[in-house]
Amino acid sequence: MSLKPHTQKLSAEDAAHFLRRTAFGATDAQIRALSGRGAADVARQALNFDQRLAADSPFDPSTGATPGAMLQLTRAGWLYELMYGPHPLREKLALTWSNHFVVGTDKVRNHSALSGYLALLRRQAATESFGRFTLEVAQSPAMLRYLDNDQNRKGKPNENFSRELLELFTTGIGHYTEDDVREGARALSGWTFTGGRGNKNFLEKQTFVFNPKQHDTGRKTYLGQTGTFSGEDVIRLASTHPQTAVFISRKLHRAFVADTPDENAVQGSAETFRRSGGNVRAVLEELLSSEVFYASRARIIRSPVEYVVGTVRTLGGPRLEPKQVLALSATAGRMGQELLKPDTVKGWDGGREWINDSTLLLRLQVAAAFTLGKNAPRDTPAPSDLALVGRERSPLAGALSSLNPRQRTYLTLISPEFQLA
Amino acid sequence: MTNRRDFLKLSAVAVAATTGMPGFLARAAAQAGAGGKTLVVIQLTGGNDGLNTLIPYSNPAYYAARPTIAIPKKDVLTLGGDLGLHPSFKPLMGLWDAGHFAWMENVGYPNPNRSHFASMAIWHTADPAQAQAEGWIGRIAEKIGDPFCASNIGASTPLALRASEFSLPSIDGVDNFQLKLPEGLSTAFQDVLGTPRSGEADYLVRATRQMMSNTARVQANVKKYKAGATYPETKFAGQLRDTARLIAAGVGQRVLYVSLGGFDTHAGQRAEQDELLADLAGGLSAFQTDLERQGLADQVIVMGFSEFGRRVAENDSAGTDHGKGSVMFALGKGVKGGVHGDSPDLEDLAEGDIKYRQDFRGVYAEALTKWLSLDARAILGGDFRGPAWVA
Repeated sequence: MSLKPHTQKLSAEDAAHFLRRTAFGATDAQIRALSGRGAADVARQALNFDQRLAADSPFDPSTGATPGAMLQLTRAGWLYELMYGPHPLREKLALTWSNHFVVGTDKVRNHSALSGYLALLRRQAATESFGRFTLEVAQSPAMLRYLDNDQNRKGKPNENFSRELLELFTTGIGHYTEDDVREGARALSGWTFTGGRGNKNFLEKQTFVFNPKQHDTGRKTYLGQTGTFSGEDVIRLASTHPQTAVFISRKLHRAFVADTPDENAVQGSAETFRRSGGNVRAVLEELLSSEVFYASRARIIRSPVEYVVGTVRTLGGPRLEPKQVLALSATAGRMGQELLKPDTVKGWDGGREWINDSTLLLRLQVAAAFTLGKNAPRDTPAPSDLALVGRERSPLAGALSSLNPRQRTYLTLISPEFQLA
Repeated sequence: MTNRRDFLKLSAVAVAATTGMPGFLARAAAQAGAGGKTLVVIQLTGGNDGLNTLIPYSNPAYYAARPTIAIPKKDVLTLGGDLGLHPSFKPLMGLWDAGHFAWMENVGYPNPNRSHFASMAIWHTADPAQAQAEGWIGRIAEKIGDPFCASNIGASTPLALRASEFSLPSIDGVDNFQLKLPEGLSTAFQDVLGTPRSGEADYLVRATRQMMSNTARVQANVKKYKAGATYPETKFAGQLRDTARLIAAGVGQRVLYVSLGGFDTHAGQRAEQDELLADLAGGLSAFQTDLERQGLADQVIVMGFSEFGRRVAENDSAGTDHGKGSVMFALGKGVKGGVHGDSPDLEDLAEGDIKYRQDFRGVYAEALTKWLSLDARAILGGDFRGPAWVA
């Protein structure tokens, strides 16, 4: 094992911590159900998700009357799954991957491309082969469109995807040359998709195709190796590069351990990643039952989506009207995290970047809407301190003692303790 | 020997212990007046194609390299014998004729990087070695000693506005920039914030306190503004309107920062860039008219940049891939109009890209020294000379 395991049985506060990180938060009962169990067992079970979705989602993007409506329904449908779906860890991982293999709805405005992309992120959420995952992403119409590889033809290279494959998806900057970018683009030429082009065809199916006539079959030198490489070869070379293990492990530590991860711990996970041939499930299982995971409290600033979803899950999943879910999805966008639409291909940086005057103001408004507003859900009992701040006795108890339960919940939701995971 | 940064940190701790306010905030009273001049920085995100912006329309090499996407001669807004502007700049030609619209040719930095993010970080930190964790505007705020002397207009704060202790404010809509706590909760909220903390929790408390102070400052003043122009219905123009409101409110900001994104034109560039440049010019034209009518035009200049230009030759998707140096622009009554610097040599390229001839830090230095009356050397970490574009 590259990371030291957490060997004690989980305390209630350990369980609350695990669920804050892997399920956006939970109710008192859900937390207590995990306490007393072994860390490895709990991690394995959480990762053992299937592909079922929330049974009762009111959102069907294929009913969107316009591309814009389809996108709104796609976002709200995902937010619904995040808030109410049966597998929060799968959704947390899909969210993490959507911030790694970034596509954006400024360019990808086709229903089948987006739903296919989301299904891919869920299917590969805890992939046993990072290389396979990267290949499927590279061949997804959403990515082909977003980074222009659908335009990449023999003798007429488009380097956009080839560059980001190395810079953002695999090795990270500093481990490749401009020649690698150019040669990679040659190898990836001929990968494109059919269908769904043009604004009117936003519901039409898009399908990956390899066009051999547009593929450059010549010799290429890529990441130090030479051959008549295909696109598949380039994806394999990039995704199995030793630095990719570090780059991906750091992303996972940022998602689950700390905004500023400990580099020794990252190297520990990278070793597991390499030894297992890019088995992300194995890396996650080790990470989510490690000492470093359980020792790291309050070191991740919850993102806007995590804040909203965490509020709903902590309150026990109050039912919201479809209109309210659509509004929350837009509000998360105004707080800096519009699902499937990061500002750039690098995705959201996260951490302190989530926090500024305007986004803090919106967090205050969201918290008020869930607790004090006239449309606030009324059927939810006040959550426990364990659910709200991960402690059996809230450090805020003294400050809040004179208030009624709704007011207490409101001020806790806008406290630093709730905003951190 | 205590250096300046250590002093700031020590004073922050000392003040925080007594009043609960970060020192950065408490020193606001010490802000330098310096004539109430404002610099508005415009970021064109994604790598704006400089050659299709300031066009070498008399150069056959330009048309040879871009058979599909070159701007036809007949559409170019001519500025002189050899250069002209993209037709989308029509709304700003009056300003050009009046001598208040400047272009800086061929701007870049040593060892250019074609990554959007590495390159943008270099422009934001003013440090091609990327060793600085703070932004150049964050350092201005530290120099002046007021965390509200610079703000971003928009949802997320760029690295340029990061300081050692805080990011400077982001104002996403002036109207929404106010805190209304429900009745009867103020004391309890103060008690929640007053609970002792460390690490990220402490950061969130300080950020919340700063937000409360900043919103109060804006709302106390913002009603002074009455619009002097009709702005186009774009997000960018709306942000420029908020910029004008903040300037008119006189809340003391010396630098305001606005971004316009979408310039990563790898395919089908003409349609995309034409529309973006039209948004840019339409917004800036309304902004300038507004400032004129408010009687503020003498106090404000605009400086715009992008992280890099595009490659000289078009690709086969009727777009362009990432390149190196590009153009910068500036406008306002305090700007010396015209084209500053030499055009790139399109027949002497480095890996298909133009070779830059002016360092962007020289362009920044001019704004810092001549417009904001600050010590550019202390902010940029060296002596940089550039074109004399401030009148």
